[in-house]
Amino acid sequence: MKSLFDRIVLKKIVDAIGLFPDRFAFCINEMHYTYRQFGQCVSKIRNKLSKADHFNTKVGLVINDDLETYASIIALWLEGCCYVPLHPNWPLERCQDICEQVELDLILDSSEQTRYEGVQVINTLALPYEQDCLMPKAGVSDEELAYILFTSGSTGKPKGVMIMRKNVASFMDSFWQTGIKITEEDRCLQCFDLTFDVSVQGYLVPLTKGACCYTVPHGQIKYIYASGLIEDHQLTFGAMAPSMLRYLKPYFEEIDATSLKSCILTAEACPLNLMEDWYKCATNVELYDFYGPTECTVYCTYYKLTKGGDNKTLNGIISIGKPLANCVGLVLDENGNECGVGEKGELCIAGDQVTKGYWKNEEKNASAFFYKEVDGKSMRFYHTGDLCYKDADGDIMYSGRLDHQAKIQGFRVEMGEIEWHAREFLGDINVVCMAFENKDALTEIAMFMETEEFNPEDMIAYMRTKMPSYMIPTRLFYVPVFPLNSSDKIDKVKLKAMIQ
Amino acid sequence: MEKNEIIEKLTLVFHEVFGDNNIVLRNDMSAADIENWDSLTHMLMITKVEEVFGIRFKLKELNKLKNVGDLCNTIEGKLQG
Repeated sequence: MKSLFDRIVLKKIVDAIGLFPDRFAFCINEMHYTYRQFGQCVSKIRNKLSKADHFNTKVGLVINDDLETYASIIALWLEGCCYVPLHPNWPLERCQDICEQVELDLILDSSEQTRYEGVQVINTLALPYEQDCLMPKAGVSDEELAYILFTSGSTGKPKGVMIMRKNVASFMDSFWQTGIKITEEDRCLQCFDLTFDVSVQGYLVPLTKGACCYTVPHGQIKYIYASGLIEDHQLTFGAMAPSMLRYLKPYFEEIDATSLKSCILTAEACPLNLMEDWYKCATNVELYDFYGPTECTVYCTYYKLTKGGDNKTLNGIISIGKPLANCVGLVLDENGNECGVGEKGELCIAGDQVTKGYWKNEEKNASAFFYKEVDGKSMRFYHTGDLCYKDADGDIMYSGRLDHQAKIQGFRVEMGEIEWHAREFLGDINVVCMAFENKDALTEIAMFMETEEFNPEDMIAYMRTKMPSYMIPTRLFYVPVFPLNSSDKIDKVKLKAMIQ
Repeated sequence: MEKNEIIEKLTLVFHEVFGDNNIVLRNDMSAADIENWDSLTHMLMITKVEEVFGIRFKLKELNKLKNVGDLCNTIEGKLQG
């Protein structure tokens, strides 16, 4: 009996390589690659991997935007290994911290020159193709890891979410049950960083169907490049973050997105009015709002919009709908009891898509997951930290975060992590970070420091060595004395009012 | 407007948007060369350029911009246009 992951994921990709050798698998940086070329690229990496001397089945992957990087993921999975993405543009220190946490002893890197020392690095670009090597390794359990993604952690260190092969198989099974149809004729947008799990949907949906995957190269301005891809290559499917559409909104009249058949909005709260405008460019599209934290493997709930119809919203934000086929979603109160219709509580998710936990983080694992009996069965739930309620139809309405997490360009950012690094530099100075919407309705980060004004260059330079650029505050405020509220806490409302 | 003047004004925009007064513009400079040049800062930069020069870009023009040199030429073309 083949494992679920072999059947639902690996076999489909290997089949596509065999069935459609001359169709395009990828379009990367204006270059098309066929499934034959992709299969050969997977094979050359797999061959090398099977001979490589490494103890850890978790392997670092420098995520360049090239065929080798995508082929490496499949090669690692065929070999029973898991990938840990290392972003080439992130500070080296952050990547090294990830290497140390996972004790990586092997890194796949297609860069001309690698940044990594003291660890075995395979330059995948230089490998020769000799023969096909596409049979999944036998006996790899669904309980093995597929990938570990590191997300922002409030204690100053990124935390790793462990996603097992079972989780990915279960997600893909859920995804196809939404009714979205993809065939080898489709052209799909993959505009998400491989450090971010929507990318897993971005490449798996086309590759398991023999369709073509169009990527956005690093160093390109994502929203502009993606709109060019949609128009120039007549893309038919893609997932995007609402902020991308917000950037594009001033240009909607110039965009022809009539080729789009289905489009997923995800990674952020999705405003209805923006979607109504998007329908005017993408006249033939079916729009979906998908929701899901990394911990629940890409998406765990979805809502299909009705063009010109009544779409459910809360404060203008579209409902995140109902749980996917393999997910259970409950809204719970502080005591862990299910809330009534219209009553707000925390959305908690159970099912086969839920992660096994955080990498070597017992404390977080103890607080983020819990067991609860549902229909006589004990289920393991994840606390999403999202405040929601269910309406009478069971559709989930999204109301906001319970903590200090924000989404910046779709990336999860803990304000606490930015504050932590700023304090490391500033010493005893009080720091508060806050996400806010600018006049273009885009999220920026403001940082308030309890000090006289100073030249921030050194501090910003320091922070850039610690965090990716999207986490660096774009507005700085120097406040000699922080205002306090009636309970003697820093008055964040007053601080926020300083942002014009 | 002379090319020099365009570059001078553009430099000030870059200093402000990217928060670094040491940026010296070169024609071949692109998003890969400035650490925090991403979608958000690009949008802020384009908005500021439109404001400073009193012009408005089309999406197709933005799509063709590969580097700072292209940006200067497009601004120059629009000012003359």
